[in-house]
Amino acid sequence: MRKIVLLSVVMIVAVGLILTGCSKVKGQADAALKAAEKAISEVKPEAEKIVPDQIKALEGTLNGAKEKFGKGDYKAALSDAQVIPGKVKDLVASMNAKKDELTKTWTDLDQGIPKMMDAIKSRVGILSQSKKLPANLTKEKFEEAKSGLDSALKDWETAKESFKGGMLGEAVAKGNTVKEKAVQVLEILGMPVPAAAKS
Amino acid sequence: MSEKDKKEKGGSDSWSAEQWHEVKKGDTLSKIAEHYYGDGSLYMKIFEANRNILKDPNLIKVGQKLRIP
Repeated sequence: MRKIVLLSVVMIVAVGLILTGCSKVKGQADAALKAAEKAISEVKPEAEKIVPDQIKALEGTLNGAKEKFGKGDYKAALSDAQVIPGKVKDLVASMNAKKDELTKTWTDLDQGIPKMMDAIKSRVGILSQSKKLPANLTKEKFEEAKSGLDSALKDWETAKESFKGGMLGEAVAKGNTVKEKAVQVLEILGMPVPAAAKS
Repeated sequence: MSEKDKKEKGGSDSWSAEQWHEVKKGDTLSKIAEHYYGDGSLYMKIFEANRNILKDPNLIKVGQKLRIP
């Protein structure tokens, strides 16, 4: 009889210890998830504009940790969630480097593209007054150049809007498209392509 | 480098799409306009773009570098 009582006490204590431990891990996992969520939400607005793939991957890790928590796998959820703040720090460093690189590229495009556009506009304006086109330019090619210029000018406005909205990556991508269009127009018109636009 | 220097060197700005023509023997502004625009009567466009070095559209010198707008 004494043995049974003793065994029961030992079992109750063991279950209690297990439950306490479990509850402790659950609390830690919950806190780690909240910290991870906060760390992500703080950088998300800017990261979505500059390093969208990286922030998406981190959100995937967070969602995975939440799923494990929901299934009661607190230890795994804790382990996954705990690494997120560190990864957020890495993402911020990567985002800042990318931001610097994109800003530099944008500054370059912003200084160069208007010069190309001005040269093209000037030439198209003069050729539009010409009674006859130069030998190396057909009427069809000239029309193609004019529509290419219009398209590039419109695209350049949208690129500048993207930049104003903080969408650096999008602005640079659009700016590069404008550059390519401008180069095509210059070639049609038989004008020199700037060295900086060749890269 | 000043804008003047750039022009004299034929435009060294890496983004510049300016076109330059070096005057050769027998060139006139009208002939140059005919070559670049297909219409010699547009020679004044070239003259106006090069007022900093040209005083008279009938007077151009061999070796001069003219900007073709």
